[in-house]
Amino acid sequence: MSTRTRHPERDVFFVSNSVNELGGITSWSHQMARLFTEAGHRVHVVGITEPAEPQDIGTGLPYPTTTLYDEHPPRVGPARGIKGRLNLVERRLRAAREAGMHEQAAKLTALFRRARPGAVVIVTQVWAMEWVTLADTSGLTVIGMSHESFAYSRSCSRYGRVRKFYKDVDRMLALTREDADLWIRQGGMDNASFMPNPLPFMPEVPSPRTAKVVTSIGRLHDQKGIDMLLDTWAEVAPLHPDWTLRIYGSGEDEEQLKRQCTELGLDGSVAWMGRTSDVPGALRGGSVFVQSSRGEGFPLALMEAMATAVPCAAFDCAPGVHEIVQDGEDGLLAGLGNTGELARRLDTLMSDKELRDKMGDLARQNIQRYTTDEIVRRWEELFAFLDR
Amino acid sequence: MALIEDDHPEFDVSVVVIVYNDEARLPAALRSVLDQTLRGVEIVIVDDCSTDGSYDVARRLAAEHPERVRAFRLPENSGGAGEPRNVGIGHTRGRHVMFLDSDDVLERNACRNLLEAAERDGSDIVSGLCVRLDQDTRNKKRDAWYPWLYARTQVLDSVTELPDLFVWDTLSTNKMYRRDFLMENQLRFPKGMFYEDLIFVAEAYLAAERITLIPNQVYFWHVYENGAAKSVTNRRHEMANFVHRMEIHRRIDVLLAERGLHELKLAKDIKFLKHDLVLHLRDLPFRNASYRQEFAGIARGYLDSLAPEAYDEVQPIQAVCAYLLREDDWENLLPAVDTLTNRDKISAPLVERDGHVYWCAEHLDDPFGRHVLDVTDLGYHTRTVDRMFLRNALTGYEERGGTVRLSGRVTNPLGVIPEGARLTGELEFSARRRSLQRFRFPVSALWHEGAYVAWEAEADLAGKLRPLGIVDEVWDVRLRLDVDGVRTTTRLTASEPDLAQGLLLVRPRLTRMVADHVEPEVSQRGHLAFRLVTRDRVEDKDRVRELVVRGVQGTPGRLAKSGVRRARKLRKKVTSAETKLRVYDEVFSRLPVKKGLVVFESQLGKQYSDSPKAIYEELRRQGLEFEPVWSYAGSPEGFPTDATLVRRWSLPYLKALARAEFWVDNQSYPLKLTKRPETTYLQTWHGSALKRMGFDEPAWKLRSKARQDEQQRVLDRFDRFLIRSEHDVRTLAKAFRLKEKTLLRVGYPRNDALVHARERELAEGRRVRGPLAAELGIPEDRQVLLYAPTFRKHGGRNGRFELPFDVERFAEHFGDRYVLLVRSHYLTHVVLPPSVRGRVIDVSAHHDVNPLMELADGLVTDYSSVMFDYALLDRPMLFFAYDYEEYVHEGRGTYFDLLERAPGPVVRGEDELFAALESLPEQSVKYAPERERFVAEFGEYDKGTAARSIVEQFFSHWSRG
Repeated sequence: MSTRTRHPERDVFFVSNSVNELGGITSWSHQMARLFTEAGHRVHVVGITEPAEPQDIGTGLPYPTTTLYDEHPPRVGPARGIKGRLNLVERRLRAAREAGMHEQAAKLTALFRRARPGAVVIVTQVWAMEWVTLADTSGLTVIGMSHESFAYSRSCSRYGRVRKFYKDVDRMLALTREDADLWIRQGGMDNASFMPNPLPFMPEVPSPRTAKVVTSIGRLHDQKGIDMLLDTWAEVAPLHPDWTLRIYGSGEDEEQLKRQCTELGLDGSVAWMGRTSDVPGALRGGSVFVQSSRGEGFPLALMEAMATAVPCAAFDCAPGVHEIVQDGEDGLLAGLGNTGELARRLDTLMSDKELRDKMGDLARQNIQRYTTDEIVRRWEELFAFLDR
Repeated sequence: MALIEDDHPEFDVSVVVIVYNDEARLPAALRSVLDQTLRGVEIVIVDDCSTDGSYDVARRLAAEHPERVRAFRLPENSGGAGEPRNVGIGHTRGRHVMFLDSDDVLERNACRNLLEAAERDGSDIVSGLCVRLDQDTRNKKRDAWYPWLYARTQVLDSVTELPDLFVWDTLSTNKMYRRDFLMENQLRFPKGMFYEDLIFVAEAYLAAERITLIPNQVYFWHVYENGAAKSVTNRRHEMANFVHRMEIHRRIDVLLAERGLHELKLAKDIKFLKHDLVLHLRDLPFRNASYRQEFAGIARGYLDSLAPEAYDEVQPIQAVCAYLLREDDWENLLPAVDTLTNRDKISAPLVERDGHVYWCAEHLDDPFGRHVLDVTDLGYHTRTVDRMFLRNALTGYEERGGTVRLSGRVTNPLGVIPEGARLTGELEFSARRRSLQRFRFPVSALWHEGAYVAWEAEADLAGKLRPLGIVDEVWDVRLRLDVDGVRTTTRLTASEPDLAQGLLLVRPRLTRMVADHVEPEVSQRGHLAFRLVTRDRVEDKDRVRELVVRGVQGTPGRLAKSGVRRARKLRKKVTSAETKLRVYDEVFSRLPVKKGLVVFESQLGKQYSDSPKAIYEELRRQGLEFEPVWSYAGSPEGFPTDATLVRRWSLPYLKALARAEFWVDNQSYPLKLTKRPETTYLQTWHGSALKRMGFDEPAWKLRSKARQDEQQRVLDRFDRFLIRSEHDVRTLAKAFRLKEKTLLRVGYPRNDALVHARERELAEGRRVRGPLAAELGIPEDRQVLLYAPTFRKHGGRNGRFELPFDVERFAEHFGDRYVLLVRSHYLTHVVLPPSVRGRVIDVSAHHDVNPLMELADGLVTDYSSVMFDYALLDRPMLFFAYDYEEYVHEGRGTYFDLLERAPGPVVRGEDELFAALESLPEQSVKYAPERERFVAEFGEYDKGTAARSIVEQFFSHWSRG
């Protein structure tokens, strides 16, 4: 039985790859850090290294941040076969990396030692866990998170690393119950549970849904499936010549996608908007939101669109998607990769103003279950449960 | 959540650990509870009055952890798990209760996960996955307990929502119970009975107002198969055991009846037939007559209470066994049990009545018996004798002077071994562990005896059987029977206990220290075998055995084993696809390309058919000199004898591909093979597309850019791609992203024959049937219909395609007019009842669909690409699209709407189908313009000259022999 007394106010550490790497996880951890700080917890955000591509996280954060490495730790893969083991350069690199890791982990240990009893370490990415594993976390609750769908992890090296490094954490958190169940049964992670992301913002003013515009927001990268969106649009556009598809975002595939757009003869109905810093504005300007990703976790873009009262049509590419959108209720889903079906879904929404209004309003209402208050409450409950 | 106060511990969970004479394993069980990630867990140990040190172990631990562990002891042994658990429940203080046996352990997070679910859902019971770990195997073989129930988290407001849970997961240990729930419902285990879990869990399930299932592993059940103290479950042959099981079942049935839960009762009846009864039936061949009688007496009473519908939901053989047991028909039951144990075996003579196949000739006047014993669907009647595993019952065993005289009888189902067949046979002795030695003895006599073939043989074991000793302890016996040159192999079933007995002297080659005799024994599956034993030198034997065991388990053995393992791994690596690919890339592809070498392949090597065949035959017809190689997968039967045949993926296959001047194929060579630039790849393709293909399929689109590029490289191997209409250009060519210059607009060589057939018919004014009609035995006065449905992934068991209409009704209705040829997709098969013989014929085994199309006066299909080809014949077509919506919308989508463009009536149901068949001649006339349009659209380049023009274009420079 625990002899520890419970502190309603805790020390909470977020440990990520970087404090300010460009991407959803950075936005998420700073959002949560702010919320926990407001709830009275003492928060510290730790990054392992400097990011390759930084994101502006603003100044005057109400909590301290620390980055362990001054420069990126040496990159080296595991030794494979006799050849790999004999490679002296690699061996030296590996030894240096390992020594460096212990040195940095000692810094983590020092931070953790100063924490009051009941402290929690939230590791947002499995790479960062490699350092937390080396640090002394006795007396702390360690939570490891996977911010993507099980299937997406399964298809890359993260699957093995999650199973290895999160094996003994107090709780491994996936984004949805469905993902957690998969981690438990297929991944053998009996410590898995789940925690959804909070709604990033709740706009005061919903979209009027008057513009004949379909909005897409996402990097122009393979994962976001803009190529499939263009194939889809090629089937819808002829049915709705007065509608425009606005594609927000930039990225490495831009040129190729624009070429595809021209080849499909869609230049007249597709507007390439570039990257935007005003997501609420972009969403307000549309009447339908479309997402064509090959893989997602718990997509914020869908939540934001719904919060703006814009009905969504999306590929059902992850448990997080059908968790957020209730198909046929507050949005419409299509089989992953089935562009014909996604086109039909779009067509349905574009043809029926009444349906758009009904689903849009319902979406704004339903998405409230992920408000920050609700999510913070669930975290507090989890902290308390893990103390038992 | 209540705050935890230190001096008055309030436990979240109490784990009741019961023990009886298990001092060695108890500490591990207790440790697994103390090490739980959830801290608020207490242990209540209840010792069932052990005679060893179990209670001391328990008390010691209680002393070490006074707040968390308490130990109790029953005043006298209760003989079961029920009473100690009941006593334990009485001592629990936690809000939730779990049970753990002294030889098992809990998963580290079990309590935390179960508690989280219990509090979240407010459940009375939370159940998690139990995993059996075989402690006797090196890697502790895992066997999850009904894992399908635990695939995902489920919350039930009543167990009736998931009858499978009620009937299958009858363990009490993988669960957490709310303590108040146990108390309020007075849930306790029955005392002094086996299977105490069954009734406890049944009562708990029925009382629970909410049950949560979680996918987490919670309980590790340690299984000791070879252990000296056998647990209840592997001592199941005892009659008392069976009596208890029946009693528990009766009590549960009463619970269900009181609550009026008929659906659960039915589910339970089904489980009884599938599981409980089977466990006991399998022991029957090893029991004597009095045991059998007593068993039957007890079982019959209970069987009468089962719902007849339950028989329809279990495997046919399970139903047959239950029925025969109920009828007390041992003559037929014992062979049926043989099939129950050996699934593939055909153990009954079977009879055919009114076009159906029955397990036996008896009971057919009882409508229910007739129903249960109808085994037509198993398709026994469609198998040839070499594809049958026949029961061979040993009837005589006699040993004299080292020679064994054996006799027996082989079941001859449906007379598959005809009277007058040339019969020879031999007994074969082979070691159960792989060994180089086999010993054969001729069968001296074989004769027909009613529905059996009887045999006699003599085996001079003392003189001829020379085992090595030590490594080949068990020798299996098989009887190989040749029926007119076709071989079938049987095992010898010892149908009565104690039939075969007595030691026989043998001389092992290595040493006689370990064994100098063989002794007959019967395997678990009921088959005769011989085991090496020693009679005289028992001490020697033990000494040598110990030596051997020490050697095997000591360093030398370990080294040898790891050596063998490594060698096996190496062999696997050498023969792996990866190595083969490297040989292909680094060796074969450096050899010069051989002019005139052509590698043909059709349907991934499964057939000699389609356009590759047509091109091959055209090359032969023109007498060109070239070196043909045909690839086959599975059997080379049916492939041309005047070509070199290579097995797909074999080294000769890869070598031929690497050196070929031409690849001619209709689907795809292995994806990973790079085509050399000197090789020309003629991709004939195998049909126009209705379904979306290639990059138009969702599955392809989804792939990442890198995988798409990889796929594109595979497709870019095609140097030429045959096109039969502009529809192909819009669909296939686009879907595969082919360049315009690869497209060859010549039509399909395989369709030349169809075009010629149509031309001939027009010229001569009549349809001439080829030799196939006679081969299939089709009378002149019947029209021929071909039913060729497309491939469906789901539906049907074991690749079985279930016909979507009543084939007997068809035969009855149209048998005087039509012969229906059924051709299932090459990945599936159908079973037709004997009743439709001569009226409906399974032609799935025919490689080539072309002669079938030429023969057929009409086609029935759904969405198969056969429609595009058959249309060339301008004969009536019927579209039986019974699952069109599902096929079109839930699948990958289609390029056009078949309903709009079908050149024949589209029907949805059986009645509609039969009505359309009734009016086929009228339909044919009515749809003539549609057929013409259809051909114009989908077959515009099929002019009957495809093969010739391809040969002209690519091969005409070769010399003619």
